[in-house]
Amino acid sequence: MELGLNVRTSGSYVVVDVKGEIDVYTAPKLREKMIELVSEGSYDVVVNLESVDFLDSTGLGVLVGALKRVKAHDGSMALVCTQHKILKIFKITGLTRVFPIHDSVEEAIGQEAG
Amino acid sequence: MTPGRVELQIPSRSAYVGVVRLATASLARSAGLGEEQVDDLKIAVSEACTNSVLSNEAAGAGAAPVTVSFERLPDGLVVEVRDRGLAYEPRSPETTVADGADELGDDRFAMSMALLASLVDRCEARSRPGGGMTTRLSIARPR
Repeated sequence: MELGLNVRTSGSYVVVDVKGEIDVYTAPKLREKMIELVSEGSYDVVVNLESVDFLDSTGLGVLVGALKRVKAHDGSMALVCTQHKILKIFKITGLTRVFPIHDSVEEAIGQEAG
Repeated sequence: MTPGRVELQIPSRSAYVGVVRLATASLARSAGLGEEQVDDLKIAVSEACTNSVLSNEAAGAGAAPVTVSFERLPDGLVVEVRDRGLAYEPRSPETTVADGADELGDDRFAMSMALLASLVDRCEARSRPGGGMTTRLSIARPR
């Protein structure tokens, strides 16, 4: 089981494209990447979950932790997700009220900039 | 398919939770559950196994296995996840609703409980005499 992470910049944003399954086994890899980005001074982050096949509480915990880290630097974190099965997880846990969730990376960057 | 029982035993290690998800998806489909139910059950079983793996570790029982049994009933599927970990109280989803990330913290366990309570028709967790927890998940086939 693999978790793919690709990091790119778009304007003043860092976009993290996540691919695969985020669970108790793979979540540490995502956590390390998010810590690394913040330590490098990337405080405005978009996490693209469109290619994520599976997400559970472990992945949610990592995303919440990353949000707290960027907020500590007055940064922002937005998510990109249109998949019903993933959105459902955010709704059940009340996290749709914590994260801005967008339909596309372009939309996330546009709205965050505005 | 006729009713039947399948049992899986995995080492208490995070790498094996994905194996249980694969088995869950396959057994849930063959039990006649719809695709959304298959996805829901995969998450619920994954949550229960994750809690068991972490609970075994926390109880110093990392060498003990986690046992997952699937019982196909005429009207659905029952999954039981057993560990040697410490007892806990399942909480209602309301306790996890947060207005901000600061209040929510990294409370993975609270989120896990909310998911378990929401994604299956019934979720019961109880400690067994002699130690360990059993989490029982029930999901009914669509009529």
